Amino acid sequence: MVSVAVTGKGGTGKTILSALLVKFASKTGKRVLAVDADPDSNLPEALGVEPEKTLGEVRELFQMSRDDMVSHDKEVWLEGKLMEVIYEADSYDLLVMGRPEGAGCYCYTNNLLKSILRKFMSHYDAIIIDTEAGLEHFSRQTIKDVDYLLVVTDASMKGFRTAERIRDLVKELNLDFRGIFLVANKINDMAKKVIEDYANEHKFDLIAILPFDEKLAELDLRGVPVVKLNGESELVNRVEEISGMIFG
Amino acid sequence: MEFPFEISPMYEGERIRKSDMYVELGGPTQPGFELVVSANKDEIEDMKFTLIGPDLNEMEEGKAYPYAMIYRIAGELVEKDLEPVVERRNHDFQNYIAGYMHLNQRYDIWIRISKSAVQKGLNSLEQIAKATMMLFKNELPFIEKIEATYVTDQAEVEKRLEEAMKIYEERDERTLTLHDEDVDDFYSCTLCQSFAPTNVCVISPDRVSLCGAITWFDGRAAAKVDPEGPNAPIPKGELVDEIGGEYTGVNEFAKERSGGEYDRIKLHSFFEFPHTSCGCFEVIGFYMPEVDGIGWVHRGYDAPAPNGLTFSTMAGQTGGGKQVVGFLGIGIAYFRSPKFIQADGGWKRTVWMPKSLKERIQEFIPEDMRDKIATEEDASNLDELKEFLKKVNHPVVTGIIRDVDGIKITDGWIEEEEVTEVTPEEEAQALQIREQPQIPSMQIQPMYQPGYQPAPQMLPAPSSGVIKLVLKNAKINIEKIIVSKEKD
Repeated sequence: MVSVAVTGKGGTGKTILSALLVKFASKTGKRVLAVDADPDSNLPEALGVEPEKTLGEVRELFQMSRDDMVSHDKEVWLEGKLMEVIYEADSYDLLVMGRPEGAGCYCYTNNLLKSILRKFMSHYDAIIIDTEAGLEHFSRQTIKDVDYLLVVTDASMKGFRTAERIRDLVKELNLDFRGIFLVANKINDMAKKVIEDYANEHKFDLIAILPFDEKLAELDLRGVPVVKLNGESELVNRVEEISGMIFG
Repeated sequence: MEFPFEISPMYEGERIRKSDMYVELGGPTQPGFELVVSANKDEIEDMKFTLIGPDLNEMEEGKAYPYAMIYRIAGELVEKDLEPVVERRNHDFQNYIAGYMHLNQRYDIWIRISKSAVQKGLNSLEQIAKATMMLFKNELPFIEKIEATYVTDQAEVEKRLEEAMKIYEERDERTLTLHDEDVDDFYSCTLCQSFAPTNVCVISPDRVSLCGAITWFDGRAAAKVDPEGPNAPIPKGELVDEIGGEYTGVNEFAKERSGGEYDRIKLHSFFEFPHTSCGCFEVIGFYMPEVDGIGWVHRGYDAPAPNGLTFSTMAGQTGGGKQVVGFLGIGIAYFRSPKFIQADGGWKRTVWMPKSLKERIQEFIPEDMRDKIATEEDASNLDELKEFLKKVNHPVVTGIIRDVDGIKITDGWIEEEEVTEVTPEEEAQALQIREQPQIPSMQIQPMYQPGYQPAPQMLPAPSSGVIKLVLKNAKINIEKIIVSKEKD
């Protein structure tokens, strides 16, 4: 099993990258799980699917109904609900983590989810997690033991700063990734050098420089799932290379 | 017996996708249940399997079928109370079977069998039943004999489900009537210790965890699976105070867990050695000396309680694993407990709670108290609360006779015309204060925060030299002193 989390500043294209990784990983016949762990993102839309339920809703339902469970086993209950939430697409499964926690104590719920998700995820060959820059699910350890972290940035100071913050956070949270890689997106020739210098200076492992893709931007604007992008696209080809590098 | 499938815990949590599925049993569209019942040894033919309805090889691919799994178990040590514990393991054991997904419990079960398992030779439910029974006997050696009846016939599943529902209901009843005195161990919870290092969460049949999430049954299940995990058994030891809920085992545990900070905890007491409060509690209780009653406010209620404080203000000062007399964090399900702060009068001491909280637990409030507990619609400050309590003749007004032992524990309100001098001896007698000769080392803490004008009601205002108390050689135990200013 190989798992990768994709993160970065909003608007850098991390969701597009995640969606394309899902597409390419599942093309090879692997058992693929896509996880939308960013409440602000729209991985399902980028994939062109409409899952109905989120794990966040299950968590809230659990908080509300647990007093009436009497002698029901709560872990078994939560696991069953997780399986109901999983959306089965043609060639991959999708889990939407959904809304962040409300007020109150989620220690117990998260502790159960941690063990349920660990068992559940262990059965996939490839896991792609689209996650926000705050890495909330990682800090709460509901998602653990992910192999690689891809940090997406565009050619902006904000994007760079976010990338650095994410790397600091990883250290602070003691997250044990096998590798943290920088992916630069929407880069024209002029910005290429800036990015390379930046990566050198800040000791980022820059694994790909993706061009700005007009066709993709147009699809995005029209609300067409990016995975529908056909024909020649440098960006798409590069992402396929990344997918090959990570998932083999 | 040789099985055409692998059996290993590594298959737990495996999802069988719709496209890989041979058949679905139970689940969202078909009735299903699982049941374990105990029987006498001579009634059971060991490892016998009976199937009522079509077998796997007679089923149509891609379809869903009704499904019941009924096990009868026997053994010297098998008793009725073990039935649900054993039944819970059906989920674990069946998930060990490669290509067989088992979800949920009781009447919610949802099974999928994979095409690849069928290709490898799985063609009868007998193979599943035999493997499961084998695991039951290997893993739970107190099961000496076991037999299984699986049902896939619609009418038969529905008929037997009705009978099973009665058994589940009886079990829930038994669960609800299990009390602190019926068990030897309570359970601890250390999940929150990173936030509240001295917190000592003790979970007993009559006291749910402060966060409301963990019952005694959850604690027991977790401790069985992972004895080194966050829920460990606390042998309750000797009973020290039956009404307050004090046990030597709990006290020892509290001392150890809090690093010596606390050495006594009473599970069902508000004023005396109350349970510590982490920060996770769903509800905070607060004592209002002006009415000699306790109010409760939950996390979802933002407005100030009648004492002028909000949930978050009170929670901020009480949380962190402290034992703060006058405030107590609890889980909402504790309102269901028959021992709910019984040492201090229980519901009879309760004077206020937000409407939304009251509605949520309405059915657990004793009928004669339901209309006597104010909400924000009746009272939002202390004056209104006093009026309300007088109007409904709340027990705090005339004095509380504790349900649990019939002892009068409060005097009721002292008429305002009187100078409210309190003779300590009389007070002590009237309160029938329990065996502790010493004053609890904790004080009721007035709560301050920057920019917050202390509500005058929180502070006993010093009277201008009216009271003179001279005490010589006195041994006093005072639960409260009310000092109020004479009206002009």
